[in-house]
Amino acid sequence: MNHEPIGSLFVDEVKAIPGGEFVEMCYSCGTCVSKCMIQQKGEPEFNPRRLLRMVMMEMKDESFDSKTTWLCSACDLCYPACPQKIHISGVIHAVKSLAVKNDKKTIQNTAVVDQQTCVACGLCVEACPYEAIKIIETKVPYRGIINVASVDSGLCMACGTCSAVCRSTSIGVPEEFTDESVVEGLWTWLQSQGVED
Amino acid sequence: MVDAARHPRIDVRTFTEVEKVEGFVGNFKVTLREKAKYVIADRCNGCGDCARVCPIEVPNYFDMNLAPRKAAYVPMSQSVPLVYNIDLDACIHCYKCVDACGALEAIDFSQEDKLVEEDIGAMIVATGFSHFDPSVMEEYGYSRYPNVITSMEMERLNNSAGPTAGNLIRPSDNKNPQKLAFINCVGSRDKRYNPSCSNFCCMYSIKNAILLKQMNPNVDITIYYIDIRTPSKGYEEFYDRAREMGIHFSQGRPSLITEDPETHNLFVHSEDVTLGKVMEKEYDMVMLNQAAVPQPDQNHMSSVLNVAQSPGGWFMEYHPKLRPIDSPTDGVFFAGACQGPKDIPSSVAQGSAASSRASRILQSDHWEIEPTVAVVFPERCSATTRGRACGICAKACPYGAINIFSPEIPAEVVTAKCHGCGACVAECPEDAITQLHFTDAQILAQMRAVLADKPEEKILAFRCHWCSYGGADLAGTSHFEYTANERGLRVMCSARMDTDFIYEAYRLGAGAVLYSGCHPQDCHYITGQLIGAKRASRLEKIFERMKMTDGRFRVEWISAAEGDKYARVLNEMQAVLDDIPMDDLKAEIEQLKPEMSKRLKKFPGVPGVQEAMDYSDILVDAITKQKEAA
Repeated sequence: MNHEPIGSLFVDEVKAIPGGEFVEMCYSCGTCVSKCMIQQKGEPEFNPRRLLRMVMMEMKDESFDSKTTWLCSACDLCYPACPQKIHISGVIHAVKSLAVKNDKKTIQNTAVVDQQTCVACGLCVEACPYEAIKIIETKVPYRGIINVASVDSGLCMACGTCSAVCRSTSIGVPEEFTDESVVEGLWTWLQSQGVED
Repeated sequence: MVDAARHPRIDVRTFTEVEKVEGFVGNFKVTLREKAKYVIADRCNGCGDCARVCPIEVPNYFDMNLAPRKAAYVPMSQSVPLVYNIDLDACIHCYKCVDACGALEAIDFSQEDKLVEEDIGAMIVATGFSHFDPSVMEEYGYSRYPNVITSMEMERLNNSAGPTAGNLIRPSDNKNPQKLAFINCVGSRDKRYNPSCSNFCCMYSIKNAILLKQMNPNVDITIYYIDIRTPSKGYEEFYDRAREMGIHFSQGRPSLITEDPETHNLFVHSEDVTLGKVMEKEYDMVMLNQAAVPQPDQNHMSSVLNVAQSPGGWFMEYHPKLRPIDSPTDGVFFAGACQGPKDIPSSVAQGSAASSRASRILQSDHWEIEPTVAVVFPERCSATTRGRACGICAKACPYGAINIFSPEIPAEVVTAKCHGCGACVAECPEDAITQLHFTDAQILAQMRAVLADKPEEKILAFRCHWCSYGGADLAGTSHFEYTANERGLRVMCSARMDTDFIYEAYRLGAGAVLYSGCHPQDCHYITGQLIGAKRASRLEKIFERMKMTDGRFRVEWISAAEGDKYARVLNEMQAVLDDIPMDDLKAEIEQLKPEMSKRLKKFPGVPGVQEAMDYSDILVDAITKQKEAA
């Protein structure tokens, strides 16, 4: 028998990244999908079981384009439920980091920094649950070379936590979770509950 | 069951535990604890008057605690033998039962547990299995939601002799359920609880569904599964029949069950894997097909019976393919699910096989064992020389065949228990044990004979009898070409490959040595290969420290089916030798000889070894002379 490796497989690339090791243990029971809140409340096309299957079936481009790759919030509701003890969000993270390496962009609006007003206080860096923000020395027009926050769009999940902690309203996800839109949404809800001016 | 109890040569002892097992095949001495029933078995006629008057009611474990029983009880009406029993934990000592029994005088509260010793020829272990408790899986809500039941509770509710006389009802409101869900693989195929498959749950969930559907065709049943496994004869047809009857099958493991607190109806959340869609469906009742797990006292039984356990906790058979009924201890056999989850046909098959295996022992007045048993030289044992038995041999023996009664008495081999692997022989630091037909002297003589001429060109291959030797055989019969410089030496197990042999081989100038045996799970001597593997890795480290060329000592596990691997390994070893210039190789051998001799100081003292060396010297001389003459 010939046991030579047949070139690099996509599944091996995923398994080489910490978190993606056990992707091939999945026997497609679907427990993760029925646990998933994103699938049930947000995006019906979101399906971690199918993404794991796509990885096993060498569907590299399809898995990079899959909404599952980009929308998982790593809440890990599925992890304790998985009978095969697969860290599913770890596998999804591995696929995502491979996608970023292959110059794929996230399908979501990610947080944007207003470099003119950012004071590099670091509050957003501490608050970000995905470790997507770093303080980097940048050349900014009118301000010279200074430290400002910078968002890694591959890691950002557009949760808006940074925008909530920022004291100078310099960071946030455009069109989603801006202070104005949140206040407006809250106000609409309060009015629906019978609160008046 | 009644027939078995009536048979003149079958003695049924209920409420009795095995306390202690001593002795060996054909001559077991078994101590039994006959527990007090507080009823004299010979006098009780099973009329049940005592139970009728008993005022105490406790849940009946036989009915999965769904129905009550009295403190004076039989677990079920078909019990064999039909002798009542008084549960002293529940009894309030009102003695109404004594009055009710009247003239029979069968009730005796002064009874105590009795220890009975019996002479036993052979034993069949049929202790069965237990159930996984699904209440630890919070997502399914068993024990929180009244209408979530287990398969065993279902069996009792569905049984005409059960608490509801076969009328399936919901525990919450005693109504007949119309919509039912069965969930398979609860606690099995689940790395958090039991990674293995429970074997029969697929089939009994289909069976229960068909039974219910036959009783009431309007009932709506859905079976949630990961995979449906129907491997035996007629099983797939049975599955087909279930689908024909309109039972729904949904692939996908439910992640959550929720309950409507008013109606106590249940909502099962699962992804239908075929559709890729998450479903939430309402049911009247949900049945969990829980995993089969070993008995809670399986560990205790395994130490009483001196039989090993497989990784899952089940009793371990002698060999998974070739001797699936025998235990590693001669004269002990397994029947049924104590050895692993089994359905009824395979349990019956194994039970019949076990009884015929056992009758082989009972019908013969002598019992043949392997002739290659271990023998102790009492004068060399550390108990004699230093007054303190080290006990290494007893620890190494996979069969518990070596007794060390006290530190001053030399180790003693129970010949009837010995299977002849030779692990103790190789492990003994004093060389105080030898193995008949594989003595140190005999193996040494073979080694000296094959290494008499141009030893530096030779590859000495130690092969275990069962696997590697078979692999080498297969390489030969299949005409796989491998190096002609290989010289094979057979021992029973890789555990017999003494470090002394390897050192001696290099001292005699061998070019390379192969240390081969069975794959870890295939060893014919339970843990023999593990002992061998541990020793081999120790040797590898020693040779690395001696700066021996990489590849001159090689450890490989080769099965009897891997002739190609055997040939490949030998060819690779030959390539290693070919790569070293002959002068360098000879220099290395000479350089390492003192190291080897240092480690072999005790070796000539082993009985027979010096003689073998002298004799083989004469032989080697004769061979050289013959060569010179030619």
